[in-house]
Amino acid sequence: MAEKDKVYKFLNPIGIQEPVEQHGLAPRLDKLDGKNITLSIGAGGEQGILIPLRKMLPERYPQVNWNISFAAPHATKAGSIALTEEEQKTTDALIRGVVW
Amino acid sequence: MSSIERSGIPSVFIIFEDQDKVWEEACRLNGVPNIRRVWGSRHIPGPEDVPTWIDDLMDALVRPLTDVEKNPPEWKVENPRYIFEGTLLEAIDFFNQETPIPQLYNNAPVMKFTDGLPIVPPTEELVEKMLKGTSHKPDEIITYQADRRLGDRVQQMGSSGIKGDPVHFMPMRRTATVEKIATIGVMAGCKPEYMPVLLAIAEAGGGCGDGRGGGAYCISGPIAKEIGMNFDTNVLGGTNRANRSIGRAAELMWKCLGENIPNVTNAGVWGNSLNNCFPENDDALPEGWATLREEFDFGKDESCIVPIHMGFSVRNTEFMPGGYRELQKSGHGGIARRLGVKGIQGPHNFMEYFIDHLWADGEGGKTFFLLPEMARDMKAYGFNTKDDVYEWLYKKSFMTMKEYRTHQSPDVWTNGWRSIEPTSGKPWLELPEDYMVPAVADPFMNCIIVTGGGEEMALWTGGRGRESAVGIDAWR
Repeated sequence: MAEKDKVYKFLNPIGIQEPVEQHGLAPRLDKLDGKNITLSIGAGGEQGILIPLRKMLPERYPQVNWNISFAAPHATKAGSIALTEEEQKTTDALIRGVVW
Repeated sequence: MSSIERSGIPSVFIIFEDQDKVWEEACRLNGVPNIRRVWGSRHIPGPEDVPTWIDDLMDALVRPLTDVEKNPPEWKVENPRYIFEGTLLEAIDFFNQETPIPQLYNNAPVMKFTDGLPIVPPTEELVEKMLKGTSHKPDEIITYQADRRLGDRVQQMGSSGIKGDPVHFMPMRRTATVEKIATIGVMAGCKPEYMPVLLAIAEAGGGCGDGRGGGAYCISGPIAKEIGMNFDTNVLGGTNRANRSIGRAAELMWKCLGENIPNVTNAGVWGNSLNNCFPENDDALPEGWATLREEFDFGKDESCIVPIHMGFSVRNTEFMPGGYRELQKSGHGGIARRLGVKGIQGPHNFMEYFIDHLWADGEGGKTFFLLPEMARDMKAYGFNTKDDVYEWLYKKSFMTMKEYRTHQSPDVWTNGWRSIEPTSGKPWLELPEDYMVPAVADPFMNCIIVTGGGEEMALWTGGRGRESAVGIDAWR
């Protein structure tokens, strides 16, 4: 067999992906009226969107009980958490502005 | 984000359209695929943009779930040891495969397995030969050989853990074996004797980051000479096999181990050019100046890699090498005029030439590349240790709050100036305009690497981060 026809096995350089169990989304709200919804503003980011958004949401959806929260500083674990433990107990739904 | 949904709280996020595929991948990786989102605009002013999607945003919280959203399909993964079987010519075609990705402005494909340059096809025989460069077994999972706790953010980037923990390669949070590192070493054109360095780079996260600018690695220790690395002229350029191929292997680790794919697993970033792995020049360090490994508490006989925040590139101040020489030899030229030492022979501190502008548009430490003679000049000027230089840079970085408030990055790092300023312990917003704050949080964030040869230029790049150095000898 000519060298050019020799068959080789080539090792796989791709990293080992562990399977991740996939979960469904949380059930949606039955209605907005009277619900406690948190707008969690990501650290530092995209004020051009988030400033008008936090003004317009209560104007447009006054039937919602709004909680506007600001994340901890960027590049910290706390900064990546959208809801505090306390907020998780009282929040029915979350809006998070992750753009930055 | 997935933890919120999994706790039963419905959520919706605001992202950009071009981040959508990355969002999908991140959601799947976190176990809750397709978390709902709306797209904000990158360029339309918020007051015009928000009304176009605000109702969709709210609808995402009440719109009934689809069957797929309720019961997502299983994520089937396969991790075959071999990726291809065929002739060498067929293998070249296989590894040269391209794939389309969602882009903003064109549909240029990306390489599936490489960085776009030709690779050496990793046959069993070549990988076996490469594995002779380490005593570690081929099927050993890459783990931390020492504790590497680097803080929350870096942990998110996948390069933090305690001794024995598997290293996760980002963005897809994958693991790797010693054999995979040897495979990538073959592909990048490395020699077997480079393996301990490659494995140390893998332990450091394999070049992984968030893609805005690349990581690079400096080698400190005897191994640099053992494997024939260049620390002389053209240290950052092509031509030396170890410098270039090890740097390329780090890039391929990110590509292959972490599966870094722009706009698919990594959002809207510039990327970076290929960085060499480069050694420091031990022999040229002025007396009293520590080696990099000693700065990280390694012994002088040990070898380690030091991650360098290369950012997008190495930067420089515009002066000619001859201008530097004239400054030191006779006090002639523009640098001498700026420093007020015209006609006075050196040594002079050449960093005075650009120090006032060093933090004009950014913050953080700087890593300087000093030629041996420039290091000697700094020592002769009066900097008896590297720490003396780091301290001087730190002190020079102070600026008034009035000026600091005109910097953009702190808008983010201080969380809109809501957090506490470290030197005063007071909220940023309560500090008077004349309060002095440092642009460098800690003197040790600065770094000096003595290396290179030839042109006397002021080169620097991003400063030392929280990453610790990683020992090489454990991987021999």
